Amino acid sequence: MAGLFGTLSIALSGLGVSQQELATSSNNVANANTPGYTREVAEVAAGAPVTLGSFNEGTGVVLQKIESLRDPLMEIQLNQETQQNSSLNTQLEQLQQMQTQFSSSTSGIGADISNFFNSLSQLSPDPSSIELRQAVLTAAGNLAADFNSAANSLGTQKSDLNLTVQQSVGAVNTLTSEIAGVDQQISSLENANQDATTLVDQQTSLIRQLSALVDVQVVQTGQGGIELATSNGTTLVSGGQSFALTTATGTDGNTDILAGTTDITGTLTGGSLAGTIQIRDQEIPGVLSQLDQLAAGFSNAINTANGLGYILSDSIPPTLGGNIFTTPPAGGTGAAAAMQVAITDPTLIAASLDGSEGSNGNLANLSAVATTAVAGNQTPIDAYSDLVFQVGSQTSNTSADVDGSTQILQQLQDERGSISGVSLDEEAANVVQFQTAYQASARVISTIDSMLADAVNLGIDTAVQ
Amino acid sequence: MRVNPYPMPDLLAALSQTEAEADQAALQISTGRSVNQPSDNPTAAALEIETNNESTFDGGYLQDLSTINGQLSAASSTLSSVQTALQQALSLGIEGANGTLSESDQQAIVTDLQGIQSQVISLANTSYEGTYLFGGTVTGTAPYTVGGGDPSGVTYNGNDDVNQVSVGNGYQLAINQPGSQLFSASGNSVFLALNNLIVAMQSNTGIGTAVNDLSAATNYLSVQSTFYGNALSQVQSETTYLNAAKLQIAQQQNTLVGVDLPTAANNLSQSQTDEQAALEAIDKFSQNNLFDYLQ
Repeated sequence: MAGLFGTLSIALSGLGVSQQELATSSNNVANANTPGYTREVAEVAAGAPVTLGSFNEGTGVVLQKIESLRDPLMEIQLNQETQQNSSLNTQLEQLQQMQTQFSSSTSGIGADISNFFNSLSQLSPDPSSIELRQAVLTAAGNLAADFNSAANSLGTQKSDLNLTVQQSVGAVNTLTSEIAGVDQQISSLENANQDATTLVDQQTSLIRQLSALVDVQVVQTGQGGIELATSNGTTLVSGGQSFALTTATGTDGNTDILAGTTDITGTLTGGSLAGTIQIRDQEIPGVLSQLDQLAAGFSNAINTANGLGYILSDSIPPTLGGNIFTTPPAGGTGAAAAMQVAITDPTLIAASLDGSEGSNGNLANLSAVATTAVAGNQTPIDAYSDLVFQVGSQTSNTSADVDGSTQILQQLQDERGSISGVSLDEEAANVVQFQTAYQASARVISTIDSMLADAVNLGIDTAVQ
Repeated sequence: MRVNPYPMPDLLAALSQTEAEADQAALQISTGRSVNQPSDNPTAAALEIETNNESTFDGGYLQDLSTINGQLSAASSTLSSVQTALQQALSLGIEGANGTLSESDQQAIVTDLQGIQSQVISLANTSYEGTYLFGGTVTGTAPYTVGGGDPSGVTYNGNDDVNQVSVGNGYQLAINQPGSQLFSASGNSVFLALNNLIVAMQSNTGIGTAVNDLSAATNYLSVQSTFYGNALSQVQSETTYLNAAKLQIAQQQNTLVGVDLPTAANNLSQSQTDEQAALEAIDKFSQNNLFDYLQ
């Protein structure tokens, strides 16, 4: 049978644990808005009973540990979805920027192509008119200028993305070095059997930030240590050490990402870096190549047609037409950026088929380019309209993907919040509960104090001072 | 199940979603278009480029038709004047063929016929806006010059070529008849017949034959001239067709990329209501928690 002092110690354990619990709640409330904070609960258990004769007597309450309520699987899912979401968002931003080139229905390459053929059509009833010939050259110049401007804008967007790659790699390195630092602290605390909960929160938050940049996977190595690697296996953090990525300009002028000496540019699958690289290395070159093919095919076809007729001159025999556009580079690469009108003299348009100034026969050959397959088996306007469709549908699909991914991410964040988020209502209720428990324990102590006074004063009711 | 105590990110996402919807509706109303960038409707954006192209072409054809109409009308009225002149020559020829005229009257007819001859040459050299109408595709040089040793008394400087102009999708219209088919056609040359009549009148021999030849040549010219009447009527009907087609394309484009204003206005007001609701939800959420009620 426990004595009064035994009971006193039980009550004391209650006081102590209640204080701890209040402190935990207080910490939760203080960190209610701290990013990455996971709520803590004090895990308590009944003290080991002592056996007195045939009775098991309780020994009060014991604080076992302060636990952070975190679901590791949820954190992994959140990391993965963050990587996906961040990559898609980056792609969407860039695609939206790209599609502004193709947004106008009344200007730009499509309208220029229509206007060019329209100017040839205007020349047709009056083929010797210098004014109408000049209009053809002006329309050709507008078309070339818009090809140039579209190609240059895509080039600028690409070089901006190279800068983004450099900045992102810098941010990745900063984060991995921070994570490695925190990892060392966690390991040393856990080796000393101390609580590293807050640091784990901090680390989790850093890994989430890293996930927004790159597809990182986390492997727990025990004793609180972690290893971080990209999904293709490039180690970023291991054994408390971070391994910095570097950048180098490749032969194509693009910024490559290197791990040591290995080029890992094409292997990234998530995070804004992967999105940036997808746009830089796939989408922009794809659109640019179609513009190049169209510019080259168009220039070649017009030049060939112009060579079939005769220019406006009195010379005998009549002079065959030359190039209207500069000869595009072989293979077409760079044709859109380089496209120029090769002539300034409007008489050099070869409208005549028989050499006489009034013949418009060769204008039919020039106009026929409008219905000839010049790029990818398509007529000029079809090729351009197809390109607009591709850019538009790519943007629209990516936008739908972003919406889907964002909803999943929100859902996961809600679930994480339901496990780890601090609820002020809950904490308020806990505070009341712990306060009441503290008051009850205090009351027990006061009662025992009075009983002890009774025992010491042999039943004489004296106040204990 | 424990609920997420921090719905704020969700609420903010909902708010930005309603704002985006309101912006989209406002943009549609202000531009009058439902497709403001290719991603709004990639198929419609691509089709619009095709229909714009068609519309530009139709506009061009219409302008061409108006130019052609001027050229054809000028040629047609010139040929009417030639017909009138030739009819006059024929009357004079018939008068001369009577054989009852005095020599001086005969001489007067010759002078009149020579006047008609130079009038017809001048008409055959008519130009429209700096372009000779009857020289085939030789448009910078007068088609006929006097002399050159030909029995017709004139030399043809033009060629036999005909210009075709596209006035519709795959629709080519010939816009000229060369002089070599109108005035100096082999076997039916009005210049030769006219010159022969003058010679016959001067020598007072074979006038009847010469008149018959001129009559045949005049008839031939008249038949050839119907080309212009036909062409003008084709220009008319094609113009009517293209104007209708243009209207149709405009309607098609409106269906394709135009905005349905009542729907857009409804969307705008709906999304503004949603936005208000989201704002109020955020306001309510942040107002209180249990701590406020504990004393």
